[in-house]
Amino acid sequence: MKKLTPLRLLLGAIGLAVGIVGVLALREATLSTHEPVSAARETELVVSAKTKGGEQDQTLPEMVEAQLQTCRLEVTSDLAGPIESLGDGRFRAVFTPAMDETNQRQFRGCVEDWVIDHVSVNVIELANAT
Amino acid sequence: MRIIAWLAGIGTLLAGALYMIVSLNRWEWNRALFFGLIVLIAEVGLATGLVLRRLARLEYRTTRVDPAVANILRETRPPSADRFAWLREPSRDLNVFITFLVGGGVLLSGIAWVVDRVASKSSSPAGEERLGRQLDPISYPSGGLLLDDITVLAQEVPGANDDQIRQLLRRGGRP
Repeated sequence: MKKLTPLRLLLGAIGLAVGIVGVLALREATLSTHEPVSAARETELVVSAKTKGGEQDQTLPEMVEAQLQTCRLEVTSDLAGPIESLGDGRFRAVFTPAMDETNQRQFRGCVEDWVIDHVSVNVIELANAT
Repeated sequence: MRIIAWLAGIGTLLAGALYMIVSLNRWEWNRALFFGLIVLIAEVGLATGLVLRRLARLEYRTTRVDPAVANILRETRPPSADRFAWLREPSRDLNVFITFLVGGGVLLSGIAWVVDRVASKSSSPAGEERLGRQLDPISYPSGGLLLDDITVLAQEVPGANDDQIRQLLRRGGRP
């Protein structure tokens, strides 16, 4: 058993404080706190996608559509129309009603997550519009 | 090499933990789960390595005993217990060992005699009966190999037109 010196006690207290602050920060970052969005009517999304090693009869647009349809189940918004292909692996979609900040974070995380195999989607733009 | 392995394990643990926290912060649950799994694997590997290292140290300590101490312990080792000292006692008296030896011999001889008698009475008839059953498929037919006159006259058997064979067959067929 090592002797407890003031320096060790100080270091232990600092480590404990850092740990508690980190856990609280992570809790705050992953907590859903929804608020009404009155200013905006819809949320516009632009993504870039690429596929690698997928099946032969699977196209990139349908993979992106599947990813967006899966992720919109985690938020309160829905696709307002068809997903528009902008070329060069970029796609645009509009969701209504507009997403609040928590929903935007959650939706962005889901879209960029490993939800569907063989496709990688990066969010280029996610913003509310009137 | 060992240092590289330790550094690789620690680096994997720290990087996995960092990416897990970043993924959690970005709400990327699948990525967070994956990196959490990496952290868990690295943690188990490092813990196993630490335990094995501690065990190796203990083993190293036990194998390095001071020769002087070992010599002292060897010289002061207590004598082993003489558990058969009673066998060397004077055998003028009939002690327990002799009693058990003679009594056990008589008892075993009696049991062996009984087993021998029972076996001789039971195994021979049973063996003869079994041998008889085994000889039954190759035994001669009950009526003999030769045919009787009626069968010879009624059937056209090979050699029936030979006079000597017909004579033999008639003889064999007589009762």
